[in-house]
Amino acid sequence: MAKEKKPPVLPEAGQWPDKVAPVALVAGAVLTTIGFLLTFLWVPPVVGASVNGAALIGDSMVTQQLLLSQKIFYFHMPVALVSFIALVFAAYYGIRFLATRNARFDACSKVAMEISLLFIIMTMITGEMWTRFEWGVWWTWEPRLTTYLILMLIVIAYFILRNAVDEPERCSVYAAVVSIVALIDVPICFMITRLIPSSVHPVVLREGGMTADMGICLAVVLVGMLAVGFALYRARFGQVRLGQRVEALKDALEEN
Amino acid sequence: MAKDYAKATAVAGRPAAPSALRQFSVLLRKDLTQEFRTKEMLVSMVVYAVLVIIVLGVALSFAKPSQEYLEVCGGLLWVLIVFTSLLGLNKSFSREKENGCLEGLLLAPVDRGAIFLAKAVSNLIFILLVEVLAVPLFWFFFASFATPAETAWLSVVPLLVGSVGIAGVGTLLSTITVNTRGKDVMLALLFVPVVFPLLYACVSATTATLLGGEVFAATWTVSLVLAAGYDVIMILAAWVLYDFVVTA
Repeated sequence: MAKEKKPPVLPEAGQWPDKVAPVALVAGAVLTTIGFLLTFLWVPPVVGASVNGAALIGDSMVTQQLLLSQKIFYFHMPVALVSFIALVFAAYYGIRFLATRNARFDACSKVAMEISLLFIIMTMITGEMWTRFEWGVWWTWEPRLTTYLILMLIVIAYFILRNAVDEPERCSVYAAVVSIVALIDVPICFMITRLIPSSVHPVVLREGGMTADMGICLAVVLVGMLAVGFALYRARFGQVRLGQRVEALKDALEEN
Repeated sequence: MAKDYAKATAVAGRPAAPSALRQFSVLLRKDLTQEFRTKEMLVSMVVYAVLVIIVLGVALSFAKPSQEYLEVCGGLLWVLIVFTSLLGLNKSFSREKENGCLEGLLLAPVDRGAIFLAKAVSNLIFILLVEVLAVPLFWFFFASFATPAETAWLSVVPLLVGSVGIAGVGTLLSTITVNTRGKDVMLALLFVPVVFPLLYACVSATTATLLGGEVFAATWTVSLVLAAGYDVIMILAAWVLYDFVVTA
């Protein structure tokens, strides 16, 4: 018999978070559903106005349509936050990849970026609904909108770049660098569009903070969305790593 | 990294590697000599700038020329600069690639930071040279009939700050895209969103100088400070990340 060979190092996928992920998915689904019910059944409209008719908020008359359109906020804001958190993780794993050259972190970074793109698209959709009813236009070059458009374009470019590089190692390094550049660029983009006074469009800001009820509802949806994002991340990560494992096994078989 | 090489060569009994400043100046001189002999990149950039001006002229041909043109001119000028420098950035690294120059550089005991700085500075010089020709031309075609504010000459400052940022970020990104399929499109895809904040600040500052008065007072300082901040942060980041990119 031939002397026993050392088994090749195979990509691993299943760690302890995979056991938590299904629970997180269920919890996320339940929490976002509760949040959905809360927004319409429990949380009062802004500053206690009634939905049946018009109310004076700040200096402007606000009608039923506007008060109801405000409800999208409870989904828009958590989704936007989750997309940015996913981007932070993508850049974090990008840095860890550059430091260790471990393909595992590259997969982490890529999957986090995918989750980020998913939530960015959801942010854009909910944001468009908000913009249409609140400000009466489909698009305006408002700081937050602009920043998210730019963020979406960079993340899309990230995936196109990944597809355009043939060597896996080089692809991972470039992707990691772009994810770090994206994380640095996005806050600067927000600052610059926010701080430079625009002579054409006034910065649209409505005064008035959140009441406690609104805060609770927002927190419920936020935790729910985070749990959903985490569960999706683990599921996709497992899938990507298993795919890599299959490839590695194929290579190992061909060598023997 | 250069230090290790220096030490290694010193052990072998050969003279130590030249200082980073010397490496930088040699690399920069190499780029400039190469360009001024062929003039390939500068000529194509200037011709391209003229073509962009013609397209902008068509785009504006049905608008009534008036003083209000000044509000648009600052933005259009930056359209011209972004597209022209994109072309130049694409060329700047493909040449290194074609002649196998990059491999030679990486084999030599040269500091990666020096490679980045030399490439960025040579790109900056080319962009500025093209601007020296293209901006007066732009002015001649679009703004000569409107009287700008007295502060118009100050638009040199955002042009300079913007070109520095474009050259710095563009050098990092063009090093990435030179190894990809469809590299021209890829550079534009990465470059335009990443450079967007700088562009926004520079357009704001340029428009401020052209309009003068209230707009100038309100936006000039803040735009310039933000553009300069972008330059500092992004060039530092590009410098740090360049080592990974160029050796990948």
